[in-house]
Amino acid sequence: MSDNIKSAKALTGATGFLGSHLMASLLSNGYSIVILGRSTKDERLHERIFRLLHWFGIESLVNQITCVEADLTKDNLGIEDEEYSRLCSIVDSVIHCASDTSFAESKREKVMAANIGGLKGILEFSKHANIDIFHYISTAYAAGTGETYCREVPSIAKTFTNVYEESKAGAEKIISLFCEKNSIKLSIIRPSIVYGDSRTGRSIKFNALYFPVHSMQSIKDIYLKDLNINGGKKASIHGIHIDKDGYLFLPLKIYLHGKGSINLIPVDYFVNAALKIIENCPKSGIFNLTTNSPTTFETLAEYNEQFMKVRGVVIGYGKPSDNTLRNPAEELFDRFIVPYRPYLADNRRFDRTNTDLATDNLNPPEFTYEIFKTCMEYAIGVNWGASIFTIK
Amino acid sequence: MNGILKTAKNCRHYAMCKIDFLGSGVCASGLEKHFVSYYPQGRMILYEALAENKIPVTEKCVEIADSCNLCGKCDYQCYFLNEMRPVTVMEALKKHVEDYIKNGGKIKIAKEDSLLTEIRNIVGFNWATNDEAITATYSHDLSAISNPKFPDYVVLPITKEEIASLVKLFNRNKIKYTIRGNGQNLLGFAINDGAIIDLNRMKTIEFDEKNWLVKVGPGITAFDLQKQAQKRGYRINAAEPAALLCANIMCSGIMSTFSTTYGINADNFINAEFVDNKGDLFNLNEVSSPNLFSYKNLQHKDSPGICVSADIRLHPVTDDECGILVPFETLDNALDFIKDCSVRHIGLALGVVGAEYISTFLSPTKKMASEIKSIFVEKLNIPWLVVFIGDKYAIRAINEMGFPYFDQNLFNSLYLGLPSLKSAQWLDLIKELSDDEPYSYLKLKSFQELLETALSPSPKLYSQEVDPALRPFFEKLFSRPEMTDLVWLNMYRIMSSRLGRKKPFLPSLIYLPIDKTLINEFSDKFRLIAEKYQIENDFGFITPIDSGKRCIFEYDFFYDYNDPDSIQRIRQVATEANMLIDDYSVKTGTVKGHPYVLYQGFCRKENLLYS
Ligand SMILES: Cc1cc2nc3c(=O)[nH]c(=O)nc-3n(C[C@H](O)[C@H](O)[C@H](O)COP(=O)(O)OP(=O)(O)OC[C@H]3O[C@@H](n4cnc5c(N)ncnc54)[C@H](O)[C@@H]3O)c2cc1C
Ligand SMILES: NC(=O)c1ccc[n+]([C@@H]2O[C@H](COP(=O)([O-])OP(=O)(O)OC[C@H]3O[C@@H](n4cnc5c(N)ncnc54)[C@H](OP(=O)(O)O)[C@@H]3O)[C@@H](O)[C@H]2O)c1
Ligand code: SF4
Repeated sequence: MSDNIKSAKALTGATGFLGSHLMASLLSNGYSIVILGRSTKDERLHERIFRLLHWFGIESLVNQITCVEADLTKDNLGIEDEEYSRLCSIVDSVIHCASDTSFAESKREKVMAANIGGLKGILEFSKHANIDIFHYISTAYAAGTGETYCREVPSIAKTFTNVYEESKAGAEKIISLFCEKNSIKLSIIRPSIVYGDSRTGRSIKFNALYFPVHSMQSIKDIYLKDLNINGGKKASIHGIHIDKDGYLFLPLKIYLHGKGSINLIPVDYFVNAALKIIENCPKSGIFNLTTNSPTTFETLAEYNEQFMKVRGVVIGYGKPSDNTLRNPAEELFDRFIVPYRPYLADNRRFDRTNTDLATDNLNPPEFTYEIFKTCMEYAIGVNWGASIFTIK
Repeated sequence: MNGILKTAKNCRHYAMCKIDFLGSGVCASGLEKHFVSYYPQGRMILYEALAENKIPVTEKCVEIADSCNLCGKCDYQCYFLNEMRPVTVMEALKKHVEDYIKNGGKIKIAKEDSLLTEIRNIVGFNWATNDEAITATYSHDLSAISNPKFPDYVVLPITKEEIASLVKLFNRNKIKYTIRGNGQNLLGFAINDGAIIDLNRMKTIEFDEKNWLVKVGPGITAFDLQKQAQKRGYRINAAEPAALLCANIMCSGIMSTFSTTYGINADNFINAEFVDNKGDLFNLNEVSSPNLFSYKNLQHKDSPGICVSADIRLHPVTDDECGILVPFETLDNALDFIKDCSVRHIGLALGVVGAEYISTFLSPTKKMASEIKSIFVEKLNIPWLVVFIGDKYAIRAINEMGFPYFDQNLFNSLYLGLPSLKSAQWLDLIKELSDDEPYSYLKLKSFQELLETALSPSPKLYSQEVDPALRPFFEKLFSRPEMTDLVWLNMYRIMSSRLGRKKPFLPSLIYLPIDKTLINEFSDKFRLIAEKYQIENDFGFITPIDSGKRCIFEYDFFYDYNDPDSIQRIRQVATEANMLIDDYSVKTGTVKGHPYVLYQGFCRKENLLYS
């Protein structure tokens, strides 16, 4: 990367799902990037990044990258003075994508430390570098649970589904104030729930959409093993059997709090839309990267039945009564989907006025069975992420 | 080195082949002849000595080889513990001797000298010898830190009077004598030149139930006494199952996970009888006797004499006792838990163990142990477990405290379903499922059924992992309920018996407060010492004692018996680890090193812990 020309974008969260895809797209579009990230106990930051470049098949673009070990909570990001000054001199904009994405209340302290505490370093850096624009990757759900129509305006929400949403809304506020005070342009990009590439199914993360399907597959495997090896001793207790057409009959009633849908966008759409916003953003703004045709859970259940060859799933609304007997599969599934339950039957709709304007009406594709199948086949092929970097 | 010699040289000298811990029987010739030489352990050492030309073929050598009927019992025992099959060594030993004789080799007859005649006059002809085949098998004990030493004589008395006479005889003749229990101490204290007095014939057991005690001779093992006590509805505090009880009290004071309730050192007995160093008898409870209840912070204190009997305390047992395993994400949380339990007197036996310990115990092979360890840590997110034994009220308290745990049924499924765990993909989700509340999956009402469905646990499945020739035996063995019963496994201390399978190990033992900072400091520093000398190491266990005021902490260093360089390094590790303990002992005033307890195991625990 050539020094002393203000031409580089600083990117945090490049080792994560969305950040890595953004990184790949920025590189492919010729940008130079300063990656502010961290090593793990087994792998240095540059090795992690190189592994990702390899996964994207763009190792040759490595020269456009500068990897810098950074601690977002420290003064000067914990970077040596000389290097810090050099970075300040070359960075013209920041894309802050790093975030602790855990929903667990037990992780509140950690989530807040990363998503709120971690702002200080990156905002100070933005000021020192005198950047032009700060892009913050937030979430559509920073809008909170109180709204039914979520506009592209600062969040005034008081109630949230989990600590993650709360921290993202809090971060938006802090960043807005800071950018306003320091005359830095700000784009807040709010994707809804992101899944893999709609064309190839490729992804490096398999939570959210994938989790109920993964859970179902696990439960199916458990009972198939029982049926195949133990003559279905346990399965028969719960009426689980294999139908003549080879489908597994697995009585499983899933309770949702009501009717609703899931707002899903593919990562390729996220990247294309975010890139347009990053490239074209004329002024500060908030951008909902969402779909206007969310998928109902019922549709997902149908996709799942066809894909997994499992039938017997029934959807109930409201809460099961206290004396409803749940079979082991139901109890396990219930437990598996606890963190995602609020997103499975959601009635919020999202305003996309700014987004449509900034992205020339670029919209996410409809979530069809074909896309579902492509994504799930990829997920299973890489063992839900366990062997992702061994299989290309 | 060929495979057979390698097996022989890897015998852990752990004496487990002297007790019937699998219910498959004990080597018949050993039970009849009592010398260690006639047990599988002795034959391993003997074969090694012959194969390496350290001794000639002697009269006793022929007898020892002949008396093995290749019944295969030692294969079961040794495979269970160490994944070794000693019968190949037994066959080789027999063949070596047969070939030697066939080829006209001369059999050496040991000459009886005048001292041996006098010894035999005391104990009887059969119970003393200087035959090299026998003395060779007493040249080792469990410790590889010490150099092997061939004794001149091996003597097996049967009464305290015989012992007294022997002591007087040896004193008169200025002959060194060394007492040997089952040679399981860790620092080579049961080997020497001069005479070895092996106490294995002194196997008396007399119950005095109305006084809650049992008087044992010094040849009784912890395992055998526990069995007798259990039959009568009692329990003793037993440590290593093959350790002789008197030796154990003498050498290290008995400590086990049950020490949380039953105590250590003088808590374990009521009285004891001794033959002193002059050959005179004394009884511990007499006012004029040496005060063995006191404690001096001194390494290598002289032995006060030979313990010839001990009145061991009996403890009541209720029929609602059961074991559970409580998982923890951090050592600190596990320490908080055991401290809380022991301060409140909740539970009978408590021990914090790491993933290495639990996976080693659960797995029938070394390979599986390493696979299971990573599943425990990475998928189940269980780097730490507390082994907890208690009655129904204690278990109720744990429920009330809100800790999820593996109960006995879940443990059974996990244990016997272990092979399925390796390929269980659903485990990937279990970890995420615990995100909000660690181990909340254990609270699912149907988790037991799910685990059973998913793992299909059975003795047959478990046995698939072992050597095909031994599968039928292992299948039968694991059909026996005690083999998966956490209470049984702990009270007989079978749970820790596989720890030396990967490699022999040298533990560092410390008494100290349940202080998280201190314990973490020790762990870190032990690790650094071990790493400096490239010695594998791991956390052993922690057991709270005396109402949580102190705990026993074991840290383990693994080495290779047959590599002089490894032995050299482990010696350096031992020296530095002891220096570290000494430093802390001075610095804190609350830390005591276990090596100092040698020959002071009869002391009051208060004198040891708080003076
Ligand atoms: C892997 C391992 C783990 C262990 N863990 C524990 C543990 O958790 N808890 C615990 O309490 N111990 C533990 N020990 C220590 C060991 O079991 C005891 O120290 C016990 O003494 C060994 O018994 P032994 O019969 O083999 O004695 P030996 O090794 O034969 O003798 C031990 C010492 O006592 C002397 N001696 C033996 N009998 C008498 C007697 N009757 N009178 C006088 N002196 C005698 C011997 O000369 C020798 O110095 C462990 C040992 C090993 C190898
Ligand atoms: N994925 C979605 O469906 C979705 C939807 C809406 C919004 N978003 C938003 O998109 C962004 C990226 O999400 P993602 O799904 O890509 O998440 P991800 O895969 O979990 O990646 C998170 C990234 O943040 C970094 N990070 C986490 N904690 C950090 C800390 N304390 N200090 C420094 N870096 C830290 C991680 O670095 P390490 O790899 O070093 O841990 C990683 O690079 C987040 O801001 C999230 O809120 C995501
Ligand atoms: S095979 Fe020989 S040494 Fe082993 S237990 Fe049987 S008789 Fe004893």
